[in-house]
Amino acid sequence: MQIDFLAKKKMPYCPGCGHHASNLNLAKALEKSGYNLLDVIIVSDIGCSGLIDENMACHTVHGLHGRVVALATGIAYALANKNKKVIAIQGDGGATIGLQHLLVAARRNVNMTLLVLNNNVYGMTGGQLSGLSNTSLKEKILHDEAYYPPFDITEMAYQSGAVYASKIMAKGEFSDKLGEAIKTEGFSVVEIIGPCPAYAYNSIKEMMELGYEEKVLTNTRPFVAPQFYERSSLFDSKNAIERQFSAKISNKLSILLGGSAGEGVQLAADLLAQAGLSCGLNNTKKGEYPITVGTGFSLAEVIMSNDPIYYTGIEKADVAIVTSQDGWEMVKSRVNEFTKLFVDETIDTGTVDYGVKLPFREKVGRKSAVLCAIAYWMSHSGVVPVDALVKTFAGHKHEEKLLEAVNTGISM
Amino acid sequence: MVEEKEKTKWVMTDGSELIIESLVRAGANAYVNYPITPSNWLNAFALKRFPFFMPAPDEITTLQWLCGMAAAGKIPVTATSFPGYALMIETMNEVYMMELPMVIILVQRLGPSTGSATVGAEGDLLVMNGTISGGFQFPVFSISSFEDCWNIPPKALKTAVELRTPVVILTSKEMIMTSRSFDLEKLHAVEPVKMKYFTGEAPYKPYKPNEDLIPEFLPVGNEQHQVRINSSTHDHAGMIKKATPEAIGNSLRLQEKIEKHIDSYSIYTFIEAPESETLIVTYGITSEACRESVCRCGKSGKGVSLLILNTLIPLPKFVIETMNSYRNVIVIEENSQANLVRYIYGVNLPTNVKKMNAFGRMITPSEIMKEIASCR
Ligand code: SF4
Ligand SMILES: [Mg+2]
Repeated sequence: MQIDFLAKKKMPYCPGCGHHASNLNLAKALEKSGYNLLDVIIVSDIGCSGLIDENMACHTVHGLHGRVVALATGIAYALANKNKKVIAIQGDGGATIGLQHLLVAARRNVNMTLLVLNNNVYGMTGGQLSGLSNTSLKEKILHDEAYYPPFDITEMAYQSGAVYASKIMAKGEFSDKLGEAIKTEGFSVVEIIGPCPAYAYNSIKEMMELGYEEKVLTNTRPFVAPQFYERSSLFDSKNAIERQFSAKISNKLSILLGGSAGEGVQLAADLLAQAGLSCGLNNTKKGEYPITVGTGFSLAEVIMSNDPIYYTGIEKADVAIVTSQDGWEMVKSRVNEFTKLFVDETIDTGTVDYGVKLPFREKVGRKSAVLCAIAYWMSHSGVVPVDALVKTFAGHKHEEKLLEAVNTGISM
Repeated sequence: MVEEKEKTKWVMTDGSELIIESLVRAGANAYVNYPITPSNWLNAFALKRFPFFMPAPDEITTLQWLCGMAAAGKIPVTATSFPGYALMIETMNEVYMMELPMVIILVQRLGPSTGSATVGAEGDLLVMNGTISGGFQFPVFSISSFEDCWNIPPKALKTAVELRTPVVILTSKEMIMTSRSFDLEKLHAVEPVKMKYFTGEAPYKPYKPNEDLIPEFLPVGNEQHQVRINSSTHDHAGMIKKATPEAIGNSLRLQEKIEKHIDSYSIYTFIEAPESETLIVTYGITSEACRESVCRCGKSGKGVSLLILNTLIPLPKFVIETMNSYRNVIVIEENSQANLVRYIYGVNLPTNVKKMNAFGRMITPSEIMKEIASCR
C-alpha cells in the first residue's frame, strides 16, 4: 500500500520557493523508503524551513531556532531504535546559529538525517545574510561581508565524521538523492541549494550559475547505538561503619584541619569523621581547596556531636590541626585562645603564641603529617580513641603507611 | 527474651549521592551533563547510577538533548549552576511550552556573572520566577536539609511527570558537598513515578487537556497515534497558530495547571512556638542555621516560630497567611538582594517583615540569635 507522508497538498511557502521542492521530494523519498508513517519523526527548526511540520503526516516536533540537530539528537538517543527514522530540517540560518550541534552530531555519528535547506538567506526575518551565504549575494546586500567566504556545511559535516554528506541542487526530481541519506545508518546530511524568490535568488536556474558543486562524501565508520544500562544502587558499594567505640565529648566538637594540596588533608578528615561515627557520634565533613586542586591550601572541617548537627559551618574551632604554612593562612583567623591548636614546627604563626608546636612533617613526611598530628591530639586528649581511627583504614591500600603515621603521633 | 536489634547501616554520605540515588529510584532514567562547579559531585554520581549518561558540549546542547529525550518518553535530569542555567533559559521555555517533564538541579553559587565558583550563595530565586517569558511559572523546590536531599527530588520528579512540566530544584554547594554520618536504613522507600500514556480513541490531540488541565502524553515514535510536539504557540493538535482563541487558551493553561495542582506539591516545615510573636522564614542552606538558632531559643525558654520553605514557586498559600499572622517576621536568606522578600512583596515591604541577608558566606546561628533578640 502506498503511504502518503504528506498531510496536505497545499504548501505554505511563497511561489517558487525552493522549500516546496525539498518538502515534496522528502515526502516522496520517505514513501519509497519503506518506513511506516509513525516510524518517522520530523524535527524542524524556526524559519521558513520549519513550516514543514504541518505538511507532514508522520510525528513532528517543532523546536527553537538553530537547535534542531541537538533536539533531534535527544530523540534519536532516546529511541535507540534502528527502525525509527529521525529527520531534522533547518535552513542555512539555523545551520549557522546551531553549527556546533551539527558538528557534534556528525562527530558522534547520531542515527539521524539532517536536511539543510540552503537558500543563502534568513527568509523569515527579511533576507539577512547567513554563514552560508554566497559571495555574489553578499556583494549585493552587504559588500564588506564579501571578504569572508561561506561555510561549506557539507564538507564540515564530512570532516566531522558524517557517514554520508551530500550537496545537491533543488532541481527536478531528487527524492532518490534524499533516499540515499535516509537509508544511511548513523549521521547523514544533505545540503539542498534552493532559491528564496522573496529575498535572494529567483530560481534554481539562477543558482546553477553560482558555482555550487554537487557532491557525495562518505566516511566508513561503525554505528554504535547509545546504551541504557541497569545499574546498581550507589549504596551497595558503601561499607557500613560499626558503632563500636565510645567518645568523651560533652556536646559538640568543631575541628579544623589545614595543610597543603596533596598532603592527605581530605583523606585524614574523612577518616576522622568515620572514627567519630564509629563512636556513635553525629559527624559532618567538608573540604575547601582552590580550583586548581593540585596546589595551594587544603582545608577540612569536621564536626562531631552527640546531638544532631544542623548548621555545618564552624563559627569557632575547638580544635585546629595545621601542618603547612598554606593551611595556616586559611586557619589563623578562625582560632582563638580557647582553640586546642596543634601546628607543625615549620610554620610561622606570627603573633599567635598559644598551641603546641611539634615536628610532624619531619617525623612522618608531608603526606602523613596531618594524620600523625590527629593521632597525637587523640592520644593526648582521649576524646576519641585512637583505635577508632586505626579501624577506619583497615584494608586501605596504604594501611601500613597510615598506621606508621598514627603510631608516630601517639609516641610524640 | 532476646531483644531484636534494630537494623542500621551507618555510613558517611553526602547530599549529592542522596539526590542522584533518590532520583533514579523515582524513575529518572537519562542524565546529560556539562560540567560546572559546584554541581560536579552530582554529575560524578549520576555517571555511576543513571541508566543513560552522556556528556554534552555545552549547556544549550544539554537541555536540547534532554528535551528530545523527554519528547520520546524518557524522564531526564541535569545539574548546573547559574552560568549554565543562563544558557538553558530559551530551552526551558521550549520544554515548558512543549509540556515535557524534566528536573534541573541548580547548584547556586556566588554571582553576578561567573562570580566565584566555589563560594556558596543562594541568589537565583528571582531568575527562576523570571525564566519563562510572560511571567509564567514552573514548580521550583528548595532543599533545606540533608533529609530533603532524599525526599525532595522524587517529589519534584513526580510533579514534573504528572504536571508535564520542567521543575527546578535549588540547592547550593554547602548542601551537596558536605558529607554526614547517616543511617541509610532510615531513608523512606521511594515510590517510582508511573508515566501515564494516552489510551483513548483516535483522534489523539497531543495538547487537548483533561479535566486536570493536563494533556495526556504519548511519546514521538509511538506506533498508535501521530504526535505533534510544538514549542511555538499552538492549538490542541500541536499545530502552530497565532492568536487564535484555542492557541491562546492553550498557552494560558500552562500557568493554570501549575496553580491548580499547587496543593499536591506544596512542601514546607512549620515549627510553631506557642505564644511566640516572632516568625523566622527561610529556605535552602540557611534553614540549618535557623533550626539551630530556634533550638537554642527553645532551650532558653523563649521560643521562636520557624517556617522553612521547600516549595518556593508557586508560593503555598499557607506562607502568606502565616507571615501575616505574626507581629515580627524575619526573612533570612543567603543573598544580598533579599530574593524571597522581593519575590513575595516586591518593593512594598510590610512593616512586620524584616530581612536578614549575607553575601558570599553562610549566615551563622549567632547572627540569627542576635537578630531575634533585637526583635524582642
Ligand atoms: S520567504 Fe523565502 S524561504 Fe520563506 S517561504 Fe518565501 S521564498 Fe521561501
Ligand atoms: Mg535560509
